[in-house]
Amino acid sequence: MTLLVFIVSLLGSMALGVPVAFALIFCGVMLMSFMGMFNTQIIAQNMLIGADTFTLLAIPFFILAGELMNAGGLSKRIIEFAITCVGHIRGGLGLVAIIAAVIMASISGSAAADTAALAAILIPMMAKAGYNVPRSAGLIAAGGVIAPVIPPSMAFIIFGVAANVSISQLFMAGIVPGMLMGFALVVTWLIVARNDNVETLPRVGWAERGRASGRAAWALGMPVIILGGIKMGVVTPTEAAVIAAFYALFVGMFVYRELKISELPRVLIAAGRTTAAIMFLVCAALVSAWLITAANIPNEIIGYIEPLIESPRLLMLVLMLLILVVGTALDLTPTILILTPVLMPIVAKAGIDPVYFGVMFIMNCCIGLLTPPVGVVLNVVSGVGRVPLGKVIRGVWPFLIAQILVILLLVAFPSIVIIPARWFY
Amino acid sequence: EFTERTFRVSNGINEDHPVAVGMQAMQACLDEKTGGMMKMQAFWGGALGGDLQATQAVRSGLQEAVVTSSSPLVGMEPALGVFDLPFLFRTPEEAYAVMDGPFGENLNEKLDAVGLVNLGYWENGFRNMSNSQRPIETWEDFEGMKVRVMQNNIFLDTFSNFGANATPMSFGEVFSALETKAIDAQENPYVTIDTSKFYEVQSYISETRHAYTPFLFLFSKAIFNTYSPEEQQALRDCTIVGRDVERSAIQELNLKSLAKMEEAGLKFNTISPEDQAEMLAKSQVVYDKHKDSIGADVVDQVQQILSELRAAQ
Amino acid sequence: MTWLSRVFFRFLDILLALLLSAMALMVFVNVVMRYTMNSGLPLSDELARFAFVWLTFIGAVVVYHHRQHMGMETVVAQFGTRGRLVLMGLSDVMILGCAIVLTHGTWKQLPINASMSAPVSGLSMAWVYGIGLFTGAGIIAITLERLFRLVTGRITEAEIRGFGGEMEDLYGTANKVKAGDRGE
Ligand code: NA
Ligand code: NA
Repeated sequence: MTLLVFIVSLLGSMALGVPVAFALIFCGVMLMSFMGMFNTQIIAQNMLIGADTFTLLAIPFFILAGELMNAGGLSKRIIEFAITCVGHIRGGLGLVAIIAAVIMASISGSAAADTAALAAILIPMMAKAGYNVPRSAGLIAAGGVIAPVIPPSMAFIIFGVAANVSISQLFMAGIVPGMLMGFALVVTWLIVARNDNVETLPRVGWAERGRASGRAAWALGMPVIILGGIKMGVVTPTEAAVIAAFYALFVGMFVYRELKISELPRVLIAAGRTTAAIMFLVCAALVSAWLITAANIPNEIIGYIEPLIESPRLLMLVLMLLILVVGTALDLTPTILILTPVLMPIVAKAGIDPVYFGVMFIMNCCIGLLTPPVGVVLNVVSGVGRVPLGKVIRGVWPFLIAQILVILLLVAFPSIVIIPARWFY
Repeated sequence: EFTERTFRVSNGINEDHPVAVGMQAMQACLDEKTGGMMKMQAFWGGALGGDLQATQAVRSGLQEAVVTSSSPLVGMEPALGVFDLPFLFRTPEEAYAVMDGPFGENLNEKLDAVGLVNLGYWENGFRNMSNSQRPIETWEDFEGMKVRVMQNNIFLDTFSNFGANATPMSFGEVFSALETKAIDAQENPYVTIDTSKFYEVQSYISETRHAYTPFLFLFSKAIFNTYSPEEQQALRDCTIVGRDVERSAIQELNLKSLAKMEEAGLKFNTISPEDQAEMLAKSQVVYDKHKDSIGADVVDQVQQILSELRAAQ
Repeated sequence: MTWLSRVFFRFLDILLALLLSAMALMVFVNVVMRYTMNSGLPLSDELARFAFVWLTFIGAVVVYHHRQHMGMETVVAQFGTRGRLVLMGLSDVMILGCAIVLTHGTWKQLPINASMSAPVSGLSMAWVYGIGLFTGAGIIAITLERLFRLVTGRITEAEIRGFGGEMEDLYGTANKVKAGDRGE
């Protein structure tokens, strides 16, 4: 019954147009009233103490690093580097998009920022070379959502804090599944674009390739710094994030010289606002999470799905389906925040590895960024690439199916995630 | 005179900690005394928020009870800092004598003034060192070692004073920081070192006994005052029953944990009484620095009781 | 009035930028010190956390002012102007309620937080967590102004379109991406 109050008050208020953060607070108020423990201090206390967490500090720093990367020309250099490598192959610009997406994913934690950079540069190029525009836009959208799966990832940080799972372990566990998503895109692209009659870019010599990698080297060094730093234990994820931000600032200002001091306030304000929007949501979700726990809602759900606890694979399948459905209507961060406190006790009860579940959960949420009606990345591609939303949606579905197949593969064979995760860690 | 009540007890530790055993005994006692009217609902692993948040919720009357270590609460009751002072107690029996006597009562009154009814002092226990570098036998062995400490000035000063690089870090980050050697050492009771699996990424374990901290079983004063005198008495009595069970369970488990860690290949050593005394002497600057913030009368009282106890032996 | 509010929100934007830079600097200096001098400043980690709390709760008002909080416009988008105005009124009233709850709760918590000091800096936690009062009051003020314009029929076309998720022309930004979305 409490579960019903939770669902109806949350979805109902969101349907009326209440922003998710306020819908979560409203849901908290309804839960409190229903449980006969209405007290405004529960809201205030959970929200304010929730923001006071050192681990979450990684979020503003990774957002800042992403903004600085785009403003400082680091993203551009990476795409140019990919073009000199595979631009001359038939269908090569598609491969460029995928390779650049994977490299950028290992630098930035944000799907929207990566997609914006890719779409701005590559969609006009692909259109000019005669590629099918909706399909190209779809590919770039699907490539952009790899960002939160390959570390660094704000999604993993938010999940790690909400579920009390090691963020460093989640980071390492995301590498192989993220690569697999990229690989699935390559295969799908080669199939769907095989009959496209397009111009290829002229093959460039090794000298030019060397120059492009030289120019990109500073940007390509970032993943080494971030992942190496965490892996070698030099830094925690929060510290890695702040180092990434300063590195991007340094490279953008002094090496590429594309970032002017006068642009810094704009970058800082944008990152500050984005941080506040995400963090206010995180804080509001802590209210409902507290009440969900106090009301023992997970136990209520475990009661309903008791038989599934016995067969973890089937349970995973059901959970993935649930996340996929929720992900159609909700963005990444709210999906993580709302479902984590509900699902984690079930996952623990069924004996599913929390790191494995976390990776699968985030991959699935990323697919939600590509599904209408609410798919941020679709909007970014449409807005930045100037392609109507309907066409992007039409172009994205083959890639969407490929990524869902990757999830099914990993549900069937969890060791694909777990074994390399142990190895990296 | 008993009303049917279920009350929430928040724990930062996990369910495999001896506090769970103590709470079972406490529940059995409550069942008997109240005819099954009073039920505790325990939340583990900080599910209802960390120790500090849960204690604030208890003070505000948002939630009934919390079992928390004394250290995080120093910001709201400075006198609790007395338990963070290095090398104060030598044995658990000394600690029991101090906490279960007039000194404990005195602290309870201070806690009452900030809205907390302390029903009893349970055991978190002596904190000991583990590290990946070398056995710690004298204070000089701390030199240059990166030690994780709690966000607490007394601990920070204690280890910095020995020449260590004391790094405050949240509990959740400790395992990976140890594993990747971002830090060399951490300090906790044996049970915690065992159940948090810190020992898997450490090589040495040294029985420094550098601090003894209790768990406080704190009830919300605002809610407690609405209970009938009989209910209040039942809660007080049964917390003591639970306390005794928890104390013996944790002693037993400490030995088991230590044996398990030695079996896993960790090198174990104790500190000679002379070296221990030297560590205490070296730590006098920490006492001097923090005496005023804890309350000079509080520190004097506990040292007075301890010297009487030691003289009587 | 609009002039005053523009200056005020510009000021808040600058405050956000300063808080973010301060946080980054404090954490960065700490990392550098830890690895070059084998020592750190525990104070800087604590102050960075407090700046983060302020950034979040001051920024929440700024983001609300620019209507950049993430939402689900799917249902609202199905309605015409009249329907959207009704839903807008309803959701504004609900937001108002939430903001009142937050303000009241923060106020009631103030004495509890005032009697607790931060472990390293010794700062009263009322200064840190009290920022909820600013957030609550700010959102109440903005919502009341919006409700007043709604009742008196002064809501603009752009706002009605924006409420349904059509963001193009709102506040002169051609950007469809909202603040929080950039982080996804
Ligand atoms: Na990433
Ligand atoms: Na979606």
